[in-house]
Amino acid sequence: MSFVPGLGLVRGMALTLRRFFEPKVTNLYPEVPASIPPKFRGRLQLLYDEYGTLKCETCFQCAQACPVECIDMGGVDTKGRYAIHWGPPETYGERREESALRRAGRTVPDPVYEHFHGIDLHAVDEILEGFDHDPKELLGILAAIQAEYGYVPVAALKRVSQSTGAWYAMLYGTATYYDHLAVGAPAAAPGRADEAYLGALDGALSGRGARPDAADDAPAGER
Amino acid sequence: MAMLSRTFGRLTLPGKIVFTAVPLLLVLAAGLTAAVVIVGPVVLTFLGDNVPLVRFVVAATIILLMTVPTAFLIIYMEMKVIALMNLRYGPDRVGPYGSLLSVVHGLKVLMKEDFTPTGADPLVFTWAPIVVYVASVMTLVVVPFAPGLFGLDLNIGLLYFFAMGGLGVVGLLMAGWSSFNKYSLLGGLRAAAQIVSYEIPLTLSVVGIVLLSGTLSVNQITLNQSGSLFDWYVFRQPLAFVIFFIAATAEANRTPFDLTEADSEIVAGFATEYSGMRFGFFFFAEYVNVFIVSGLTVALFMGGWNAPFDWPWPIVAQPDLSGMGIGLLFALALIPPLGILVLGLPFYLVNSQVKLWQALVIGFVLFNLVAVAALVGFAFLSFDWVVGLLWFLTKTYGFVFLFVWMRGTLPRVRIDQLMGFAWKWLLPASLLNLFVTALAILVVDGIR
Repeated sequence: MSFVPGLGLVRGMALTLRRFFEPKVTNLYPEVPASIPPKFRGRLQLLYDEYGTLKCETCFQCAQACPVECIDMGGVDTKGRYAIHWGPPETYGERREESALRRAGRTVPDPVYEHFHGIDLHAVDEILEGFDHDPKELLGILAAIQAEYGYVPVAALKRVSQSTGAWYAMLYGTATYYDHLAVGAPAAAPGRADEAYLGALDGALSGRGARPDAADDAPAGER
Repeated sequence: MAMLSRTFGRLTLPGKIVFTAVPLLLVLAAGLTAAVVIVGPVVLTFLGDNVPLVRFVVAATIILLMTVPTAFLIIYMEMKVIALMNLRYGPDRVGPYGSLLSVVHGLKVLMKEDFTPTGADPLVFTWAPIVVYVASVMTLVVVPFAPGLFGLDLNIGLLYFFAMGGLGVVGLLMAGWSSFNKYSLLGGLRAAAQIVSYEIPLTLSVVGIVLLSGTLSVNQITLNQSGSLFDWYVFRQPLAFVIFFIAATAEANRTPFDLTEADSEIVAGFATEYSGMRFGFFFFAEYVNVFIVSGLTVALFMGGWNAPFDWPWPIVAQPDLSGMGIGLLFALALIPPLGILVLGLPFYLVNSQVKLWQALVIGFVLFNLVAVAALVGFAFLSFDWVVGLLWFLTKTYGFVFLFVWMRGTLPRVRIDQLMGFAWKWLLPASLLNLFVTALAILVVDGIR
């Protein structure tokens, strides 16, 4: 074959002529977006900024968008001590919203929390200090809060979540799971920490009549 | 006077332009009329007495103007064809299918800084691209495009062609020498060596045709090939055709022999110091050379403007326009609007998205296409040279495509391979071809 002079020339020319009529591989990007296979997910990659710190802000948008729920996040708590698993993927939505709002510097709107502005959270802070802000001692913390307040206020759950780094929805789920914990008691349910506040409130209202349900105050756990 | 200047100052810019231009134009028109009346008869007599000179000037002008769109077309073809062969799309932004990109390239070259390096000889430096370009263009004068459509039917046409082609070497040497740059000088010498080497087999390969046809006139050689397909000289001189094509590739500085300005390896050779439009002339001359070489190959070997086969269904319809009388006037007035309506209204009626004016625009464009097609068809039927020109251009652009195709395929040869091939293979082969042809002619004549 190769002894025929000029055959390579002819074969090369034939090759380019075939290429001339073949479909082109150029991607006409702005007009025609690239055709991506439906199962294509790209490559997961954590990026670092120029200071060597992670750019990830744990906003969980990726985890929420992940259709096969393969993205998960873990880390350490706010004091850099304990490994935390951020929870099951089906609940990332809630986490993401809160986290995004907190990053934006706004308070997290919570219609239940609004009722509990009056609650004194110093007791919760003392309990947390006693448990060393350890999310592994979650049941102990919650039991102590239940003993302190007579129920588990949503505001206390928020504080525990913030302080230990444990995920709020996980705390909420734990607290509502156990029978000995009562979450989100009505405003009328007093605990020991609220006595002073409610007494002061009663005193302030004494001139205009008592609170409507002041008479039937009952421990929240019994409801 | 003061009032006049004040009034002029109060005019807007368009007003100033109009009130300056209109009197100037009036004066110019009057002057021109007077000049035509006074000098006209003398000029006409002079032109009538010197028809060959007038013909030469007109032909040179037309050819000079023709080279520009030709070069644009070939540059576009090169970009597009090589891109398609590389599985790319190539230019597709400017104009339909990117066809105006080469014009943009020309404008870009025109707008660039025209730089002359320190120490260069400005006169020679400026003249070099002109010499190269003009040498290219002047060769086109003897190329017959169609029956009766050629610049000059020189009886030494081929000699003139090769002489003019050789003049380009002078331009290359001028460019290399005047640039005040040793790389330019080396590039110029290299280009000269290559072109002079390939000039010899190029010229010798054609001598066989000259012996066969008995003339040096390119037009006469083309005429000798009229008849059937097998009267083309490519079938009588196949070796000469191969030699001529290879040598012409080297003459036109095309791949695989484009060592003089191997764009991917050396700094453009003799054109190293050139920029702006002076570089553009070299660039243009290269592409005009491709057209010329293709055209000469067609004229010498592929039958020129002769059709390869007779049209099997002769069309004899010759519309008798003068017989229509006043009807011709009515037809001329009525056919365009009617045609626009007939071609445009269906779009308006069928598609409710199309507005009336859009339908009319579509109709106008379609009618223009139809009218141009009808006109070309009429010319094709009525004039011999239109057919010939179409055949000539088809064949020529076929060869241009072949050159571009080769550039898209073949790698470049080394300089020693280039020179060795010219002197060791092409020259003996062309001499062999010449002697065999001469012997065959003697034998055939002896038999007769």
